[in-house]
Amino acid sequence: MSTQETKLWTIEKELWVENRLGLHARPAAKIATAAQQFDADITLEKEGLEVNARDLLDVLALDSPQGTRLVLRARGPQAREAATFIAALFARKFEEK
Amino acid sequence: MTSKNLILQGIAASPGIVMGPAHVLTQEGQVSTRLLYTDQEVADELERFNRAVDKTEEEITRLRREIADDLMEHAHILELHLLILRDRMLLLETQKLIKEQNFNAERALYQAFLKIKEVFQRIGDKHIRGRIQDVEAVYHRLLGHLTGRGSSKTFEFPEPVIIVARDLSPADTTKMSGTQVLGFITERGGKTSHTAIIANSLEIPAVVGLDSATLEIETGDLVVINGLTGRVIIDPDAAMLRSYEVRREEFENFKREVTQGSSLPAVTSDGHPNRVLANIEQPEEVSLAQKYGADGVGLYRTEFLYLRQRQMPTEEELFLHYRQVVEAMAPREVTIRTLDIGGDKFLSPLEYAPEMNPALGLRAIRFCLKEQKIFRTQLKAILRASAFGKARVMFPLISSPRELHDARLLLVSVKGELARENIPFDANLPVGAMIEVPAAVTLADLLAREVDFFSIGTNDLIQYALAIDRGNKSVADMYEPLHPAVLRMVRDVVRAAAKAGIRVAMCGEMAGDPLYIPVLLGLGVEEFSMNPTSIPVVKRVIRMTPLDEARKIARRVMKRATVEEVNEYVNREMDHRFPDIFRFGRPLATNRTL
Repeated sequence: MSTQETKLWTIEKELWVENRLGLHARPAAKIATAAQQFDADITLEKEGLEVNARDLLDVLALDSPQGTRLVLRARGPQAREAATFIAALFARKFEEK
Repeated sequence: MTSKNLILQGIAASPGIVMGPAHVLTQEGQVSTRLLYTDQEVADELERFNRAVDKTEEEITRLRREIADDLMEHAHILELHLLILRDRMLLLETQKLIKEQNFNAERALYQAFLKIKEVFQRIGDKHIRGRIQDVEAVYHRLLGHLTGRGSSKTFEFPEPVIIVARDLSPADTTKMSGTQVLGFITERGGKTSHTAIIANSLEIPAVVGLDSATLEIETGDLVVINGLTGRVIIDPDAAMLRSYEVRREEFENFKREVTQGSSLPAVTSDGHPNRVLANIEQPEEVSLAQKYGADGVGLYRTEFLYLRQRQMPTEEELFLHYRQVVEAMAPREVTIRTLDIGGDKFLSPLEYAPEMNPALGLRAIRFCLKEQKIFRTQLKAILRASAFGKARVMFPLISSPRELHDARLLLVSVKGELARENIPFDANLPVGAMIEVPAAVTLADLLAREVDFFSIGTNDLIQYALAIDRGNKSVADMYEPLHPAVLRMVRDVVRAAAKAGIRVAMCGEMAGDPLYIPVLLGLGVEEFSMNPTSIPVVKRVIRMTPLDEARKIARRVMKRATVEEVNEYVNREMDHRFPDIFRFGRPLATNRTL
């Protein structure tokens, strides 16, 4: 991966909140913890409101019950890994129902 | 500067007169407010805040490590708290407010917290919205480290102060007991509110229910509290101050006078023995109980250790406290009441959502039977302590034989555990029920079969019987211990106990008020448990009263149909019989709740 690419390219993924309780504390904590571990700027957007995925309270404040559509954006050296990892959290419904 | 001499009238909640500088705690976070003037001050404040953040992080991390594997839910919450602690909205916002608004750290943190609260209030999903409780928990922890409460568990003031606050929670006041607090003034609360109780146990004056206190009084103002009349004087002039000095002196002399002879036995003037016991909350109060001549501890409240810190106390910690009290009082009896948490006292904002009507909610024995692990730990600690003197255990808020049965079953099981581990305990530990729910009065004959003693908790009993919220100012004056309904309940409980051959004590505020003593003696109450400071005056009244006469008074009281008639009669009778004791109103009649 070239420096050029890491600087310019943003990875974008559409995510759906599928677990029953929505993005409550535990999933939000998982997202924030994950986001803090990658060397990448990661944001989540809901209907035009974009927050840093590292900030737990901001993620919670997105107010995303089951069925919400979010857009994840990641930039930086580990953007791809971060996006994949977080998308997987959503796909597995954060290990919940 | 001219003196304002501003006089405000509140509710007298703890007797005594005191003067000194005010220290105003602002609402909610009990935050002290101050502006920073120099760059150096700002830098120091940031440094102080960051240190508090570090300490909080260490604390949470440590708690997280110490958590047993079976409490993963709790571990998860602590991990969440670590994230919140470092969250932009809390951390950066506070730092920004210190730098840009020159707020002190506590104030800045409070503002940041309020802002988060606002954001959360707009969240539609109620589960997510409810997470504000976690933010709040972190906020309090952080605030604790800022004010030094985290380490020393106390508020610290540079000089002795009069605390002025909107309201004081048990969590606030437990952190003050060791510090130099001259008195309390609060906007909320009535005669039996938590502030009143604590002030009485600390023997410092308090005025509560003073509506505009935090607005009228500023930190640093010279304030006089008259805990006898409920009056507060802000910025008094020299003449006013002098007159209060004189009154203060008079009152202190009176108190000394009454206290003399408090070590004499509580025998009526015609020779009938009674027991006067102490209500205590902390081991440190044992010396107060002994000083005032208590025949034992009739109510050892055990909430303190659960409220002081946010994690559960360990069995060892509980045991050491209980043992200290039991050992120090030996050979006198110590009645340990099991956890009465819930209602206005909270355990942890995380675990239990606020209830609509906490007095009728999940508290006391109900809570303990639901949280058996917590309950067992406490029972084990009590049993272990029972090997070191004479202990009794009693269960609060009993409303059915079933609850007693379940609690006793747990006790038996814990005993078995201890026996298997070869840990000594008193196998015959007496078990009692608190009678404080009207249902328990009605079922007193059935409950009496399950226990070794009753203890009538009048504060809750009156509140439930008359449907009066004792913390609600607009109805607080309808809280009437001499209500015929209450008196009949007391009579019935005493009768049921006598029939079953078990002992009956009374441990509410009523038991410590000299005004009611002859009536209660006449109704057959023989054990009175009260705030230690009330013991001398109650003993004095008992020693001056012939039981015959007390019975006569009780009979006359029971014939009266309205509380007004009873009050009128009892007050007249007591003024006539004990003119000296009621010279200062009912100064040493204190307001301990249960």
